[in-house]
Amino acid sequence: MTSRESNPNFMNGVPELLILRLLNVQEMYGYEIVQDIRSRTGSVIAVGEGVVYPVLHALERDGAIRSRRKAINGRSRIYYAVTPAGTRRLADLSETWANLTAAIQTILTGGRHGEAVQ
Amino acid sequence: MVKPFNELRKRLLRAGVAPRHVRRYLAELDDHLADLRAEEVRAGLSREEAVAAAIVRLGTLDELTNAMIGQLRLRSWTARAPWAIFGLAPLFVLALTRLAAFFILWTGWQIFLPAADTPFGNIHVSGLGNLYFQLGRAIYFGGPFFIGWGISALAARQRLRAIWPVVGLALIACIAGSSYVQASRTAVPGGFGHIRVGLALAPSVNGISDSLIHAVVIFSLTVLPYLIWRWHEAHSLSA
Repeated sequence: MTSRESNPNFMNGVPELLILRLLNVQEMYGYEIVQDIRSRTGSVIAVGEGVVYPVLHALERDGAIRSRRKAINGRSRIYYAVTPAGTRRLADLSETWANLTAAIQTILTGGRHGEAVQ
Repeated sequence: MVKPFNELRKRLLRAGVAPRHVRRYLAELDDHLADLRAEEVRAGLSREEAVAAAIVRLGTLDELTNAMIGQLRLRSWTARAPWAIFGLAPLFVLALTRLAAFFILWTGWQIFLPAADTPFGNIHVSGLGNLYFQLGRAIYFGGPFFIGWGISALAARQRLRAIWPVVGLALIACIAGSSYVQASRTAVPGGFGHIRVGLALAPSVNGISDSLIHAVVIFSLTVLPYLIWRWHEAHSLSA
């Protein structure tokens, strides 16, 4: 396989958040998930597309998502959907991410966390 | 794409990822690759260019490997607790097979040899009784071999390092080879009789004891297929 540009720091918890967010709307299979992330982020988030599957497997093992095989156009695909536990996890992750980005934004704009930034 | 996936499979199994996750991962990657290839062809690339572009988009071998290995929850029990899988579990299964063999021995003794002081020795039993006792013997003597081959198959399937499987095989050979069974009537007339079980591996006064030979035979016949497989695997990799 050839080398390619990627942003590996992307992997720190963000894939879980994005995947849960997408699956919370509708069930999808791996390729769909990756293409949806790619199109929504304007390809800003670039990783090897195959790395989405370990995250999906781990989420399923944790009970955050469930999978089922579905035959579409003669091809059998594994579709994933969020479970109630996954919905709760999505809420937690979203809150954590919102706090984190707010804190980073505060630093970038020169203020202190907790202060109103103009 | 078969070749890179084969390498990925070997890497993941060696790293201790559970085989069921490896199987599913590779199947999903294969599907994903087909989708990417079709997408690139639709975008106007030739078939060869589409395949090359799809492989790049799927991720490097290192990326695909590290992403899976990084998910520690997907590791198999043989990787998480090899001492339990190759040490304790085989001993537990061996104990079960021995219990089953002793049960057959004792019930066969009560049913087919009610007057005999022991089920061992030159006692003639025919028909169903003979079959029943042979079943017990098969479980008693065959059990360690099947358990050993099971250990070898598990280790081979998951491309594990040899140390724990060999320790497990040695343990099974020692315990199975050194255990002995005696059966005799109690002193009470008409008593049910009792079965005594023990371990003895030390060399006897006259040389190496039967139990030690038995242990060596079990170990050799169970470890040999595993070592041959490892040798074959190493040579096929270097070829």
